[in-house]
Amino acid sequence: MGDAVMHARLREGVAVVTGAGAGLGRALALELAAQGVQVAAIGRDPVALEALAAEGGGRIHPVVADVADGGQVRAAFARIAASLGAVTLLINNAAVYPRRDLLEDGAEGIMATVAVNLGGVTHCSLAALEGMVATGFGRIVNVSSFADVAPLPASAGYAVSKGAVRVLTRAMVADLGDRFPGIVIGDWMPGMLATRMGLAEGLDPAQAACWGVRLALWHDRSLNGAVFEMDREILPPRSLKRRMLERLTGRRTVARRL
Amino acid sequence: MTELSARTWDVIVIGTGMGGGTAGRALAEAGLSVLFVEKGPAGYRAEETPLNPGMADPVARQLRGFWPGAVAATVNGVESRFFAPLGSGVGGSSVFYAATLERPEPHDLDEVADKPHPTGGWPVSHATMAPWLAKAEAMYAVSGEPDPLTGAGTDSLRPVPPLDPGEAAMMDRMRASGLHPYRLHAALRHVDGCRDCLGFKCPLPCKMDGRSAGVEPALATGRAALLDCCEVTRIHGNAGAVSHLEALHRGQPVTLRARAYVLAGGALASPRLLLASANADWPEGCANASGQVGRNLMFHLNEMLAIWPARGGPAFAGPTKAIGFRDLYYAEGARFGMVQAMGIAAREGEILHYLRMMLARSALLRRVPGLGQLARLPAALAARLLGEAQIFVGLLEDLPYPENRVTWAPGDGDTIRLDYRFRPEVLARRKRFRRLIGRALRGQRHLFLTRWPELNFGHPCGTLRFGADPATSVLDADCRAHGIANLYVADGSFMPTSMGVNPSLTIAANALRVADGIVTRMQGGAHG
Repeated sequence: MGDAVMHARLREGVAVVTGAGAGLGRALALELAAQGVQVAAIGRDPVALEALAAEGGGRIHPVVADVADGGQVRAAFARIAASLGAVTLLINNAAVYPRRDLLEDGAEGIMATVAVNLGGVTHCSLAALEGMVATGFGRIVNVSSFADVAPLPASAGYAVSKGAVRVLTRAMVADLGDRFPGIVIGDWMPGMLATRMGLAEGLDPAQAACWGVRLALWHDRSLNGAVFEMDREILPPRSLKRRMLERLTGRRTVARRL
Repeated sequence: MTELSARTWDVIVIGTGMGGGTAGRALAEAGLSVLFVEKGPAGYRAEETPLNPGMADPVARQLRGFWPGAVAATVNGVESRFFAPLGSGVGGSSVFYAATLERPEPHDLDEVADKPHPTGGWPVSHATMAPWLAKAEAMYAVSGEPDPLTGAGTDSLRPVPPLDPGEAAMMDRMRASGLHPYRLHAALRHVDGCRDCLGFKCPLPCKMDGRSAGVEPALATGRAALLDCCEVTRIHGNAGAVSHLEALHRGQPVTLRARAYVLAGGALASPRLLLASANADWPEGCANASGQVGRNLMFHLNEMLAIWPARGGPAFAGPTKAIGFRDLYYAEGARFGMVQAMGIAAREGEILHYLRMMLARSALLRRVPGLGQLARLPAALAARLLGEAQIFVGLLEDLPYPENRVTWAPGDGDTIRLDYRFRPEVLARRKRFRRLIGRALRGQRHLFLTRWPELNFGHPCGTLRFGADPATSVLDADCRAHGIANLYVADGSFMPTSMGVNPSLTIAANALRVADGIVTRMQGGAHG
């Protein structure tokens, strides 16, 4: 089956966006709906989700759940499967970024952030995978960050959990990539956004959502494990041998653009 | 689980590959209650897992349906450990196979006037096996073209999709050099979205294997059940009959009972289970009064070569397993085997694999650390210089020798131990085979990829051979263990010789024959 068929399958399927009540998640849900995709919008704030649904042209379906709570997530996915059909696309977007000093946040504070940022991705991915492994088809995009590379002060919980999400993406590909190459899983770094979690002078989340949705609706088996930042692919560092090989054969792996 | 172990089944089938899957389906369709016991997992039907010899973790291997342990092979006195292309999940090795179901020739089974048979002939003749081969072809939806030399398959084969221009041109060139190429016989239904699935699990109801053509239709009868993740660890019984099986289901001990038992764990695993089942009545192991259990191990010797398209002619559209020929099957009074496409395009990855295998075998070079990594450079250059070739393999028949064998010792766990020595006769035949292949392909750009005699560890057979004499064979003509009334074998271990073709079709055909014998006996009131 060609890419075009797979794209159509994603467009005609059911997308889940977490953290859809505000910011990037809200923009992603709207962009997906604008592309004609049925969207289950997961969030904690029913009022915000209803307001979002009102803008979604009938394609956005509010689902109230806390992603940190495995039971709530399982129930939410069961409701989505029953009312909309099998989930084919999951964008794990929900995250919190409490700015707190390590000493002030304490172990409980850090682990509470981990429960949302890492726990949410874990709960939602496994719930979505249950249906995806039955058909061998699906797409999971984890909204990630470089926060783990050089953690900023007052961001321990965020840096640890977002770093762990990138490890989780690679672990999911290690477990599933060879068995289910048609379930395409990867990371996307949206960049610095002008959202509650981001910077006032950051990017318009609507712009980032255009890239994110283009990536999410791109079903290509070679995207398994791929990392994108904004609209371009970040290639893994190449070893000296790899670079020699590329020099000798004249073949280079080229970063893809959205 | 408890309800599966509480009842007494008509038949328990141990192993769900080509032999077990096929036999179990025939038994269930004949009205018997059947329990499949499979060491590995059922897995997910949508999986496309390829065999991966580089994956070493036993848990990861087992859950993918690979045999979890390594093979410790002592070849000519030198031990090496590696992961063989062996399955251990529902469908066994066959879910990964290339689905090439080729018929053996009469001289593979029979003593033919001008073609003496190494064992004097199988206890069942080619003529007796022929209707079972046809039944297996039908069950496995085999498509292909009849062999122009023997006409084999004339009535039974389904039509095949057209060849790509590169392969059609290759067939023309083979014909022009006097060969008789034909479209290989493949157990593929070619449904919408068919990707041939050579070397990986087929996610569609398309590739016919021990799972899709065996276990699944058996379960659909409502008379069969599957117990996966369940390893039979010991066969219990006395001199005359098996009483029950001892097994571990997800680590918990279980006891399983049936009126009759079909052992189909594969030619490497089945003899291990019999050897591990020694008791006071069977001091040398179950069914081993002859001492032949595990012996006469055979593989094919793979002679691999790359063939490139003609300069300026059409290129290959992609790797397929489409073409084979039997012109050298039996030549100059010697037994060789058929030559066939492997379904591998010789790109960088494949060439790299062969270079690394060559390095691994060189006693000197394998001590140089990092050399395997460096092989990337010549492999990439070769792929670039030579373009894309198709890889062909000549399957050279191996002959039975008692010293070539599978052994078992307590504590081996999932490590399969085998001893194998190349006799001078097989090495001499291999040289002649190479020369004949080279001569037959004169005028086509080709390159032998095999430098040393290479055993095809995916084609083991012979370790529980059938025969008339209980002193020199393990099974009787019905593939029932000599002296054990209710124990049958339905995998590749029954074969007294390895034939010049892929073993799968013959294993399936024989499994149907074995099942028929069980049904007849049970209807006659045998087996309690």
